[in-house]
Amino acid sequence: LLCRVNLSASGMGVVEAENGREALELARRERPDLVLLDVMMPDVDGWTVARELAADDRTRDIPIVFLTARAEAADKRMGQQLGGVGYLVKPFDPVMIGDFVENVISRVERGEREQLTRGITSAGGP
Amino acid sequence: VSAPATYDAADRARRLQRVAELLAEAVTPQEVLDAILTEGVRAAEAHAGAIGVLAEDGKTIELLAQRGYDPEVMAGWVTFPLDADLPMSEVLRTGEPVFITSIAERNRRYPALSHQGQEGHALAVLPLAVESAVFGGLSLSFDRDMEFEPERRELKMAFARQAAQALARSRLYAAEQSLRKRMTFLAEASELLASSLDYSRTLRRLAQLCVPGLADWCAIDMLGPNGEIQRLAVAHEDPEKVRWAYELQERYPPDPDAPHGVANVLRTGEAEFLPSIPQKLLDRAIGDDEELRRIVDELGLTSSIAVPLNARGRTLGALNLITADTHPPFTQADFELALELARRAAIAVDNARLYREAQRGANAAQALAYVADGVVLLDPEGIVRHWNPAAASITGLSEEDALDRPVSEVVPAWDALTSHVPLVAPGAAARPVTVPLVLGGQERWVSVSGVGFAPGRRVYALQDVTEERALEKARSDFVATASHELRTPLAAVYGAVRTLRRDDVELSDDDRTQFLEMIESEATRLARIVDQILLAGQLDADAVELELSECDPSDIAARVLESAQLHVPKTIQLSLDVDGSPKISCDEHKLRQVLVNLVDNAVKYSPDGGRVELRVRNGDGSCEIDVVDQGLGIPPSERERIFEKFYRLDPQQTHGVGGSGLGLYICRELVERMDGRLSVESEPGKGSRFRVELPAR
Repeated sequence: LLCRVNLSASGMGVVEAENGREALELARRERPDLVLLDVMMPDVDGWTVARELAADDRTRDIPIVFLTARAEAADKRMGQQLGGVGYLVKPFDPVMIGDFVENVISRVERGEREQLTRGITSAGGP
Repeated sequence: VSAPATYDAADRARRLQRVAELLAEAVTPQEVLDAILTEGVRAAEAHAGAIGVLAEDGKTIELLAQRGYDPEVMAGWVTFPLDADLPMSEVLRTGEPVFITSIAERNRRYPALSHQGQEGHALAVLPLAVESAVFGGLSLSFDRDMEFEPERRELKMAFARQAAQALARSRLYAAEQSLRKRMTFLAEASELLASSLDYSRTLRRLAQLCVPGLADWCAIDMLGPNGEIQRLAVAHEDPEKVRWAYELQERYPPDPDAPHGVANVLRTGEAEFLPSIPQKLLDRAIGDDEELRRIVDELGLTSSIAVPLNARGRTLGALNLITADTHPPFTQADFELALELARRAAIAVDNARLYREAQRGANAAQALAYVADGVVLLDPEGIVRHWNPAAASITGLSEEDALDRPVSEVVPAWDALTSHVPLVAPGAAARPVTVPLVLGGQERWVSVSGVGFAPGRRVYALQDVTEERALEKARSDFVATASHELRTPLAAVYGAVRTLRRDDVELSDDDRTQFLEMIESEATRLARIVDQILLAGQLDADAVELELSECDPSDIAARVLESAQLHVPKTIQLSLDVDGSPKISCDEHKLRQVLVNLVDNAVKYSPDGGRVELRVRNGDGSCEIDVVDQGLGIPPSERERIFEKFYRLDPQQTHGVGGSGLGLYICRELVERMDGRLSVESEPGKGSRFRVELPAR
């Protein structure tokens, strides 16, 4: 809800999934420009979703930003290994989420995807 | 001895008879010598007499006693060689008597004597023999020239035979007496040595026993652990002299490298016997020290025996016996006695030390048997020499399995494990390292510290820290869990407030309501987690107070269900089934807390929905309240662990089933404090049943 409201306010189209399984279906169907992925989800967790998206030709290139309460270095490394382009630790300011997502998308388009992935373990979020 | 006149033959025979009676009465060598040299010499018409015997070396003649000669002249004749050209030497060599009628004849036959006093007259030297073995000679000097006619010769020879018999008998007696004395002394010493395990005290008493019977001085020195000479005892009949000896020792400490005496004996383990102490030796020891020279002169040391206390190839100490002013110089027999004494003393010391070591070992083993830390002793070859019961219980390997075997065989991973453990020197601070030890398929965490002592010998102390480590891990997991758990509601509250305050976005009424509800429910969740953490802390500190009252469990269950109804997902069907509800005594608030928690869990672990039922039943003298779900269920291996503090079915929390890991721990603790029991039955994939049993009133 928080993300949807704030992203919509930035003029972005948002589709929401209740859990991991739904997220995978949605991503394959909608091919979004970016996935905001919670790690702690019932059923299929965020790591698994990221792994499956990467394994699927249709969704491989969709950039993923992890969104989680897990703040430990090991978790950030996991997000990095799974090719995430951003890692947001809760609590974060949802008002800034629109700018953050826009910035990530434009940098990915400029071909800075690898830098973003590397940045997960060093820099924070918005 | 006044020179008698000549007697007639009958008179001579009568006098000889009298001498024979005297000799028969004499017992000791001194009494025999007295009888020979007084009555005997007089009866033989002589004015002086002397007795010499063959010394122990078989080459020297020792003068035993004399009467009537000038003492100054005789001082030069204490001993003389058997092969000398002298009448006594000749008699001992040949066994035949020598009769010399005048001084002129003497000088002619024995030129070596020609410079001796010329005022003498006739001389007879007679062999002293028993059973044709010559052991000495009797010399008789006359104050006039004398023709030794056959009858006279025969009488003199008869006298010599009687004298020889008596002398031999008395010497035998004396030897026997002396032997008996030695045996008595040895027996006494042995008894003393066996009397106590305090060998220092025993040896001091032994030194005391040696004076003055055996020697004038007795000293016992022991070799210290670093090869130093430690004086254990000094004995002398006069305590004043003993004090003085200790003072002397202070002033002139023994030189361990000295070429003679105790130092030499301790160094070489060889005995040293000086029948007479050569002046040369004393001079060398004294050097230029005038004070020391005065002291040594005053001591008047005459002979010395220093014997080692040797046992099992090692020299433990030395026994030093010295004669001075009162005791005659030592003989070979004294030396042999000293050797025997030292042998027995050494055995006693060795036994006492062995016993003490064994005792110490036994005490240490006893201490190690009860200490909680595992103790492992390895020899330079890595063989296990000690493996105490704690080591056995930590490793699961009995002492029998481990002792006298290479440690790398006993615990195959030993070398790899201990390669990280620094060996510290004895007395240094231990530097324990915690290492994992897999034994019998079970992993234990063991804190190991090592001490290296003596070359190659190592002792390791083991402490099982598996529990501590698990607790530590649970604690750090808890911190991570609690922070995750707090972050999520915090993010929702913060995010909702931030979004509500945006003035650049027009929110729908529906969104606005949802944000406010979110704030409310997430704030409630936060409060509950904080409560749980606090409650767990109170339970730990045993600071939870119960307010017991009579309650109706079905009533409490109904109310729990009622409030749960408000927030469970639509996929969950809640129901209550009451079949008898005995009154119980409990803290109503705490019981409700337990049931709320169990219902929440049932809902949480039923992600696909299903029925969650509360059942209240009459048990056997108790009330049973079951919370039954159709959810994920709990694997058998986890069924007890879920009640542990901080334990979570899904520690990574990736499945989104949140919780502090404290809920069930708190539930069980609370139920047990109300004298009840909380148990679980479950089938993975089919659901779980948690049962609260509380005693009926």
